[in-house]
Parts: sequence; structure tokens; C-alpha cells
Amino acid sequence: MSTTPNRPSPSNWLKWFDPRQREIGTWAFILNRITALGLTLYLFLHLIILSQLAGGEEAYQGFLDLIRNPIFVFGEWLVIIAGLIHGLNGLRIGLTSFGIAIPYQKQFFYILMAIAVAGGLYFAVRMFAV
Amino acid sequence: MLETVSTPKKGETTWLWLLKIITGALIFIILGIHFVVNHTLGTVEGGLLSYQDVVAYYQNPIIPIMEIAFLIFVVSHSLIGLRSIFLDLNPSPRALSTVNWLFSAVGIVSVVYGIWLVMTIVSRGS
Repeated sequence: MSTTPNRPSPSNWLKWFDPRQREIGTWAFILNRITALGLTLYLFLHLIILSQLAGGEEAYQGFLDLIRNPIFVFGEWLVIIAGLIHGLNGLRIGLTSFGIAIPYQKQFFYILMAIAVAGGLYFAVRMFAV
Repeated sequence: MLETVSTPKKGETTWLWLLKIITGALIFIILGIHFVVNHTLGTVEGGLLSYQDVVAYYQNPIIPIMEIAFLIFVVSHSLIGLRSIFLDLNPSPRALSTVNWLFSAVGIVSVVYGIWLVMTIVSRGS
């Protein structure tokens, strides 16, 4: 890797938040990490909240009524976006790990993210259009 | 070249790295099924959005098997992934060891709880 002027280190932490002169691979890395944290949070919320099913019909119906609130729908949309970005970028990581598509992985990344954006728009229309 | 592909991190064994990739691929497939099925089946518009529909769905023996497998893949993937984020912080061996124990415990508890929940839902149909 060539030396870049923007190389963060713990002693120079302000640089961590400097978006300039980052390569596309760094953006892929950052996106992958942020979506990973969001999806992990969602996973455990999802597992915990589904215990309402054990509480029987009334408990589960109460939960279903609660999540009709647009705030929860927006949260679900964020989960879909994160899932698309993480899953599609993960496809690239998985393939390149086995030596596939390495020379054109940047183009591959752009195409995958274009699909993620298109998917995000599709679900935004599906979820918010009344 | 080394920097351009995903390789095991320092402190991450090759097996964990491989497991993360394999579970990632499996999640890609099963999450697709989970998502489409849960949003199209059932008697309510929008998917399995009633207690009876969920219980009925779980009466097909393939479903509890698929969901438990999915749970194991997704919990493993998320905890191995969280661990690799933690490794980026250059943890001391002691901190890493604590995280190893903590994440293993969280993983086991989650899977045991998930199996209990699936079996509870299955039993409501009989």
C-alpha cells in the first residue's frame, strides 16, 4: 500500500473523521463496519422481541400493533439498507477472498452499491408510499 | 496485493476467518428465503403478521430446521465479525480473552434461547 497523507493513528484521532483522500476500499471498509454494528444490534433486538411469540396471541398482536408506527418502519428500512450494503459488499469480499474478480473489484463494488441504492429506493417506495 | 483482499487478521485464526466467509454466504441465501417467505405468506397483507400464521408456518418441519440453522449461522457470523472489529482496537491479550469468553457465552445463550423459542412455537400448533 502506498503511503497516504491521511493515515489515522490513535495519537492523531482527529484524522479518523477526515473524509478526504480516502480510497474507495476504505469507504467499503467503513460502510461494512457501520452496517455490521447496526445489523448486530438489530439481530439481538429481533431475537429478544420475538419472545413475545411465547407470550401468546395477545402479546404478539400488541407487538405487531406497536411496530406499525412510522418510526419503526423507518428503522426497518435502515435495516434493509444496511443488509443490502453489507450483504452485497460481503459478496465481493467472499469472492475476492478466493481469488475471484480481484482485478476489477472496484468496478464490482460500484455496481453492487448501485444495486443497493436501487434496492433502497424500491423499498422506500414500497414501505412509505400510502 | 496482500492489502487488497480479505485475509485473516492478527489474532483471528484461519478457521474463524473461513467460518465468517462460509456463514456469510449461507446467510446471503437463507436471509433471502427468510425475507421473501416472511413477507409473502400468511392470511394478513404484508406477510406472517399474526400469531396463528406464525404457528401454522412452523408446523412444516423444514421451517424449524431452517430457522435454527439460520440462527446459528447469523449469530456466529455477527459475533466473529464483532470480534474482528474488536481486534482492530489492538486489545491486550487479557481483554481479548475476556471478549472470547463473553462472545462465546452470548452465542451459546442466543442459540439455546432461539431453539427454545422455535420449539415453543412448534408445540403451540399441536
